[in-house]
Amino acid sequence: MPPALEIENLRKHFGGVSAVDGVSLALETGRIYGLIGPNGSGKTTLFNCITGVERRDAGRVAFNGERIDGLKPWVIAQKGIGRTFQVIRVFPELSALENLMVVTRGSGAAARERALELLTFVRLEGLRDEYAGNLSYGQQKLVEFVRVLMRDPSLILLDEPAAGVNRTLLNDLLDAVRRLRDRGKTILLVEHDMKVVMGLCETVFVLDHGEKIAEGPPGVIQTDERVIEAYFGR
Amino acid sequence: MNVFVTPAMLGQVVISGILSGALYAMVALGLALIFGVMRIINVAHGPLLMLGAYATFFLYSALGINPYLTVPVSMLVLFAVGLLLERTLVFRVVDAPELSSLLLTFGISIALVNLAQLLFTSDLRSVEYLAGSWVVGPLALSKARVVAFTVASALTGLSFFFLQRTRLGKAIRATSQNREVAMVCGIDVQRIHLVTFGLSAGLAGAGGALIAVIVAIQPEMGQIWTFKSFLVIVLGGAGNYPGALLGGVLLGLIEQLASLFLTTQLSEVVAYVLLVLILLVRPQGLLGGRQT
Amino acid sequence: MSPRPAALAALAAVTLALAVYPEFGSGYGVRSTLQVFMWIVLASSWNLISGLTGYVSFGHVAFFGAGAYTGAILIAKAGWPWGLAALAGGLGACVLALAIGYPCLRLKGPYFAIAMLGLNEVLRALVSYFEDLTGGGNGLSLPTLDATVPIYYVMGASALLVTLVTYVIITSRFGLRLMTIREDEVAAEAMGIDTARHKLYAFLLSAAGPGVAGALTARDQGYIEPISVFPLATTITMIVMVLFGGKGTVWGPVLGAVVLFVAQEIVWARYPYVHPLLFGVIIIAVVLLMPRGVLGLLQIRYRLPRTI
Repeated sequence: MPPALEIENLRKHFGGVSAVDGVSLALETGRIYGLIGPNGSGKTTLFNCITGVERRDAGRVAFNGERIDGLKPWVIAQKGIGRTFQVIRVFPELSALENLMVVTRGSGAAARERALELLTFVRLEGLRDEYAGNLSYGQQKLVEFVRVLMRDPSLILLDEPAAGVNRTLLNDLLDAVRRLRDRGKTILLVEHDMKVVMGLCETVFVLDHGEKIAEGPPGVIQTDERVIEAYFGR
Repeated sequence: MNVFVTPAMLGQVVISGILSGALYAMVALGLALIFGVMRIINVAHGPLLMLGAYATFFLYSALGINPYLTVPVSMLVLFAVGLLLERTLVFRVVDAPELSSLLLTFGISIALVNLAQLLFTSDLRSVEYLAGSWVVGPLALSKARVVAFTVASALTGLSFFFLQRTRLGKAIRATSQNREVAMVCGIDVQRIHLVTFGLSAGLAGAGGALIAVIVAIQPEMGQIWTFKSFLVIVLGGAGNYPGALLGGVLLGLIEQLASLFLTTQLSEVVAYVLLVLILLVRPQGLLGGRQT
Repeated sequence: MSPRPAALAALAAVTLALAVYPEFGSGYGVRSTLQVFMWIVLASSWNLISGLTGYVSFGHVAFFGAGAYTGAILIAKAGWPWGLAALAGGLGACVLALAIGYPCLRLKGPYFAIAMLGLNEVLRALVSYFEDLTGGGNGLSLPTLDATVPIYYVMGASALLVTLVTYVIITSRFGLRLMTIREDEVAAEAMGIDTARHKLYAFLLSAAGPGVAGALTARDQGYIEPISVFPLATTITMIVMVLFGGKGTVWGPVLGAVVLFVAQEIVWARYPYVHPLLFGVIIIAVVLLMPRGVLGLLQIRYRLPRTI
């Protein structure tokens, strides 16, 4: 079975700066991966290149064995890749419910049902008709999280899911992520919170200055010299 | 449609293209500055040029002096107008969604054009000053256009000197590259916005003053300049100030070449199609400016 | 959310009143109301693309003109009945919208606006170029026919239709998807929404109304020339009406059309030529003070449904 996601020698630069400089990695289906690195190491750019939001300069990206580099973002999303954003991007003038319903095609009733289900799952069904822009930060984060699940993607990219989220909520979220993995989904998350990464991820990739400098189980990564250097300097 | 093209005709066309190109470049530079520094598309740029043309016309009619002496005056007047507009209206939409600044400057452009229509009527005015051409071999160079070229080139050169060498100029460039960092470095970004807008208006005013001697002056004359300035920026790359130079000359050449092989009406269509094509294929412009 | 019976009754009453108006209204009254209908068609159509998706179309009058010329040519040169010619005008405008929209809507917001700015000039140039067909700068005359009253009804029906279409779209998921383009196009695309196709649909829909209105106006005036059907003033007026009334709402454009048309007539009677200046000032004021327009403001303040 081909890996869920395979990235080969991906490069992306902005002007003179190399944001992603020859990164290669592979994700096996049904596992949770972490992507860490100091600020500016290229993590979000990598996400953007995978999902088609940015056009990569070189390299290939394959999803379940099928090349997806160069495709439009909605085509990639329709193939089964979902993502959240580092800075929350809900649709502010749509209600929480509409934020979810707008994502799927087909029967409106079915969409509504599924949307309500997901909102109930994160305990937001009471706010379903509230404009998403009026919700609190944590609530918006939850809406964005379940919005990704509306299309039932098989690969889920989470960009800093733990940022700004309180403990209880966070545990629910992480629980949800584990359950998604148990159902066969592949998850890649960018995170700064090391406890989350260590507790959740089976394999961790470390980026620094656009290059992958380490890869392995969290325990090993923690003690890797290059990783320590990247974060703390010599 | 012209099929026989002699080298002389081609030469004529190339020279004409370069002559108008410098003017396009200067005017477009103003627009590029605003876009680079404030991230605003100033739809009112053309009408500002129009006001510069009227300023020259009235000074010339009232005082009978050499209209080219009015260029600094038009520039100053428009600089003041630009400062006023920025200070009262434009500064409010600098951080707003692009739609707001588009619509605001659109509203300003309508107000300016119609104000001009009310005050000056839509009668065609002209500044009859430097008629005729200098004949150099097989080429005929319109005197007014040559002078416009010279002045525009000088002003553009001065602008670049200003941007590269003076503290204010460098501050402007810094702000257009990265506003947050500029602020952290102690640059008063509000003031930069104000000055940039004023400068841009000043350049438009200069353009208007120079063009006043060449074409008929009427309130709607500026609209096409807004569009052409955008075209120049797109050709040269948004955020790329030297690119505006290349873009200007390119536009001038393309226009002249198109009017050689097609009628003048179709040459406008050519410019338009070109704009759309470039935006589609290479949105960062031919010289590849920053990614917006 | 179904509209309350009172609102429906009010709408029915107004429609009835307008339907019988030509019986006892003056010629001036009928023609003015006809004009209001036309502005409702134009404003509501502009709202479909610019209000819902946030892609500002600065050249929308191009579709009015395209419809006018299509209709006029078919009436004058091919002897078509004006009703059919009006439909053809709408179709012609849609074809133009497809030709323009397909490339241009791929451009991001501000670049699209720039491209639309130039559209006007280009169309005027093309009309001059194809002189034999279009009569060029001399214009095109239609055989004389006094059809003001039937045209009143057709234009009124068009206004009603466009408003209805707006309502249907805003209450549908298609409409929601259009709005996501306005809210956050990047996020919309990442969620699997084909923004290019949606923008194109909205654009085509927004061109049909002006196309029909253009053909009807051409028939009513009996004569068209480039500056009469491609004036920038028409785009400006369309935009002001929607901004003032409330972009993205159903009745905002209607409100804007009625209020500003009346205001324009009053001002025009006293101070001709001031109203374009006023429109510019209104745009500035609305953008700075009331960016959501009258109805948009009320919507937020009183938590009104999206369908007003």
